[in-house]
Amino acid sequence: MTLQTEALVIGSDEEEILIDANFSGQDLLVFGAFYADPSQPRDEKGDILVEIVGPSEDVILRKKKSFLGFWLNAISVGFRDVPGFYYLSSSNEIDNIFLEKNNIGILKTQKYSDMNWSLLTTDWGKIESEKDKIEFYEALIRTKDKENLFKQVTDEIKILDGNLFKTNIHIPNTAPVGKYIVNVYLMIDEQINKHYSYNFTVTRIGIEEAIYSFAYKFPLLYGLTSLIIAIFIGWGGAELFRRFRRI
Amino acid sequence: MSIYLPIAELSVNIFLLLSLGGIVGFLSGMFGLGGGFLMTPLLIFIGIPTNVAVATSANQIVASSISGTLGHWRQGQVDFKMGCILLIGAFFGSILGIWIFKVLVITGQLDTVIAILYFTLLISIGLLMLIESSQVIRDRIRKKTVKKKIHYHNWAHKLPFKVRFYKSKLYISIVPPILLGFIIGILSAVMGIGGAFILIPAMIYFLGMPTSKVIGTSLFQIIFITALVTLLHATTTFAVDALLAFVLIISSVIGAQLGVITATKLRGEDIRALLAVIVLIVAVKIASDLLVPPEEIFNLSVIRVVF
Repeated sequence: MTLQTEALVIGSDEEEILIDANFSGQDLLVFGAFYADPSQPRDEKGDILVEIVGPSEDVILRKKKSFLGFWLNAISVGFRDVPGFYYLSSSNEIDNIFLEKNNIGILKTQKYSDMNWSLLTTDWGKIESEKDKIEFYEALIRTKDKENLFKQVTDEIKILDGNLFKTNIHIPNTAPVGKYIVNVYLMIDEQINKHYSYNFTVTRIGIEEAIYSFAYKFPLLYGLTSLIIAIFIGWGGAELFRRFRRI
Repeated sequence: MSIYLPIAELSVNIFLLLSLGGIVGFLSGMFGLGGGFLMTPLLIFIGIPTNVAVATSANQIVASSISGTLGHWRQGQVDFKMGCILLIGAFFGSILGIWIFKVLVITGQLDTVIAILYFTLLISIGLLMLIESSQVIRDRIRKKTVKKKIHYHNWAHKLPFKVRFYKSKLYISIVPPILLGFIIGILSAVMGIGGAFILIPAMIYFLGMPTSKVIGTSLFQIIFITALVTLLHATTTFAVDALLAFVLIISSVIGAQLGVITATKLRGEDIRALLAVIVLIVAVKIASDLLVPPEEIFNLSVIRVVF
């Protein structure tokens, strides 16, 4: 039996991120300490990998085509269980083979040839060729990336004193609500040595949350309320101005 | 200052929304129209998802048409019997319209179809108004007076199920008004409009109603049809954004009153020519959005409602 000398402890400043009317994104601080064999040179001391996986969503990706000069949605592909938010950060360059082996990455970083397409999508529709599938796969990541919902970086983790690390992760206002998983890995010799994970949630609060859940839970009552407000303001506004003009 | 719209799920500048509601309200007050045909495309221009723009416009029109109807009602210019018969057709039309809307959402064609429908509608209205108002302006310059026919008789008066409409002094079949209501119902549900600019000419030329009763009666039926469309959208497509509607209603009611005051100071044909130009500009913008190659040919949407 080998004696384990490596250790990893982490902390974070938020357990819950609240989205209200003025929410324009928030930074999440993830920090911790790791301990690896200090007699080894810096490169061997280990690297830190921070991964954040947001709640799963089912999405539809549509491709436009020109038809008589008009750009119309022509082909659509449904993807299931796509993370609504994904962030991966490492203190050093990491190669895809490592990620692949450990099942880490946006939509699990597999080689295109190895990808189990049927698991990823609900419906490929008219798409048959591998080339077209890859195009859609890349477009999915690109469109998510444009909304700041997918990100993979190597320069955001700060290592202090050789054993302490901290990183700020920006949660944008487009981030979906739900449970987020934070995974922190200590990597030594291309191996995951320690893995620690915890959760935080993104919640809507305030009048927006009330309206949102009202609309989806009691649609008829919601519609009626919205109507009554319209009737009241429409009627009241006209009355008010009529009296005002008489004076 | 931004406001987060809970159903549209995005932040929009509140002053942008207020001025948009105010301008559309001003124009609708000035021209005596609901304004939905401008509200929906303008909301889409500022980035509101098409389905939310349509459903929320319907909700906003309820308020603006109530404001408008009250005045006509007091003057006894509403033919309630005709309004109710139109509504029977509109009821079934809007149910079909919601179904069409859902199919368009599922197949991903909503944006395109809405854009094409609005382009067609706005180009036709814009050109017709421009021709009409320029003729009037020309006649005014030449100091010509045009005699107008009081009553129009066509095939619509020869159908069965004839009913007497005392208020409109009409004795016609109920088939044409039901058919007309049906078409307006479909358009209202799919496009988020009240349909006054189709309804008013159709009531005059197709049903032969007296002009004095037309505006009040069309506003009356628009209140109910847009109220029904709002409820149908709230319960089936979940696209009514109450907060967006609230901001638009407040600003458009104020804008509408200012529009009414302004309208009394200008000649009818002059403001109609102005509206025609505005409508044509919006139509051209819609067409160019469809024709310009997009930067990103892929678009992603999250599935929230399973129909």
